[in-house]
Amino acid sequence: MLTVMFTALSGGGVGGYLNPNMPILGPLVQGARQQITSLVQGNEHLQNIVQGQGQGGGSAISATTAGSVQAVSNRRAPDKITIGTFNIQVFGQSKLAKPDAMSVIVQCIRRFDIVAIQEVRAKGDNVLPDLVKQLNADGSRYSFLIGPRLGRSVSTEQYAFVFDTTRIEYDPSSIATMQDPADLLHREPFAARFRTRTSAPDKAFTFYLVNIHTDPDEVKQEVNALGDAYQAILSQSPPEDDVIVLGDLNASEKQLGKLGQIKGMRWVVTGDVMTNTRQNKAYDNIVFYGPSTAEFTGSWGVLNFEQEFQLTRDQALKVSDHFPVWAEFQIWEAPKQGLFAGRLGNRR
Amino acid sequence: MADLDNWRADLQSQDVETRAAAAENLCQLGEEAAEAAIDLVKACADEEPVQVWAVAALEEMGPPPASTLPQLIELAKDSQAIVAYWAITLLGRVEDAGAQSEGVLAELLLHAPDISVRERAAWALGRMGPKSQAALEALKTAAASDSVRLARLAEEALS
Repeated sequence: MLTVMFTALSGGGVGGYLNPNMPILGPLVQGARQQITSLVQGNEHLQNIVQGQGQGGGSAISATTAGSVQAVSNRRAPDKITIGTFNIQVFGQSKLAKPDAMSVIVQCIRRFDIVAIQEVRAKGDNVLPDLVKQLNADGSRYSFLIGPRLGRSVSTEQYAFVFDTTRIEYDPSSIATMQDPADLLHREPFAARFRTRTSAPDKAFTFYLVNIHTDPDEVKQEVNALGDAYQAILSQSPPEDDVIVLGDLNASEKQLGKLGQIKGMRWVVTGDVMTNTRQNKAYDNIVFYGPSTAEFTGSWGVLNFEQEFQLTRDQALKVSDHFPVWAEFQIWEAPKQGLFAGRLGNRR
Repeated sequence: MADLDNWRADLQSQDVETRAAAAENLCQLGEEAAEAAIDLVKACADEEPVQVWAVAALEEMGPPPASTLPQLIELAKDSQAIVAYWAITLLGRVEDAGAQSEGVLAELLLHAPDISVRERAAWALGRMGPKSQAALEALKTAAASDSVRLARLAEEALS
């Protein structure tokens, strides 16, 4: 039985990674605030074992030309996780009402252990619960976290994380919409800390995901602000060396500004790989600090669902104007080798 | 572009589902929807099923055609903030070519009741490189605003 649990967390009342105060963007430090809707399914917290995923085969895709792009398989490896990002354009009631589009969305998300979703746009709160219900119709055990509605006008968006609870768990006290006292960002990032489910939790890969959809009219300023956001997350206690910024940046790898200028920062989508459905923009990416996030296996890709599911361009655009981007990571925390301790002083 | 013309016409339908489908179809044209810029800005004031697609279309559309500028200037004064916001955004996207809107933007910057409209006016003037005395004076006033974002955008426009 599915249960919808609405949890409002205040900045001061919950101990954890981001509390009592979450230093975010700019000089002012304010408490984290967020309204989190979490669909918790069954006994997701009971097991700390890694389970094999998926039945049947299915190869995957990436219809791109870069040599390093890999296929993402339906059969997820037990010793690795796949992290994705997917801007599901105007993900709301009209999309839920399109079975063909939803089928593609569900099949895409099932390739991932966890995916950051952008552009949830609906006045109602049923979009993610309905998505998860469809995801779990095959016995899967996905759940989600969703952020507050954000935007400068009455038209707002929400971020969400959807994750396979048999593979990934989250720290409830780590979830936050980042504070932006200087009001640099149209839609402040939605962040949470996750951990792979393994037989040895103390050795499991832990990481922050920082979900972002920049304003296409203020990209330069916003990617610069993301550099600050990244460093703010790094400053949290307890420390986390793996901070992964992912989403629709509205910027190519060459336009990452202050975020991209952090020494050691790397991004998976490079070269002439395009991430939108029209195949003329590379706006979606997964960005992290390479020396620390040694869990990255080197495999990544763009899930071209138009080719994968043999859709016409018009059919593909009914799904989204963006393809999902993914990257693969080991489930075990990599040795820090002293890198993390020195990072704050090594940036340029 | 028969489809585009049909969808523009459908945006005037009495049926909300028809209007929503038209907005969605226009959204999926990407930059080719620019010819429907005026219709889409007006559609931002429509019911949610239409509004969400209209806004999405405008986000992805890029600069509007020059022929739409006079109407956009009028829509920038619309009483509904979201309509004004998007009209101003499109004016800002044409940069110098939108200079004819400086007077209206300066007025909005000073007196629009909605902060998002004032902020967008400052942003748009910054994109244009303000030249008129009215715009410069309005920006100087806005730069002293208590609103952090408005003050910053105004300062950036002046610089």
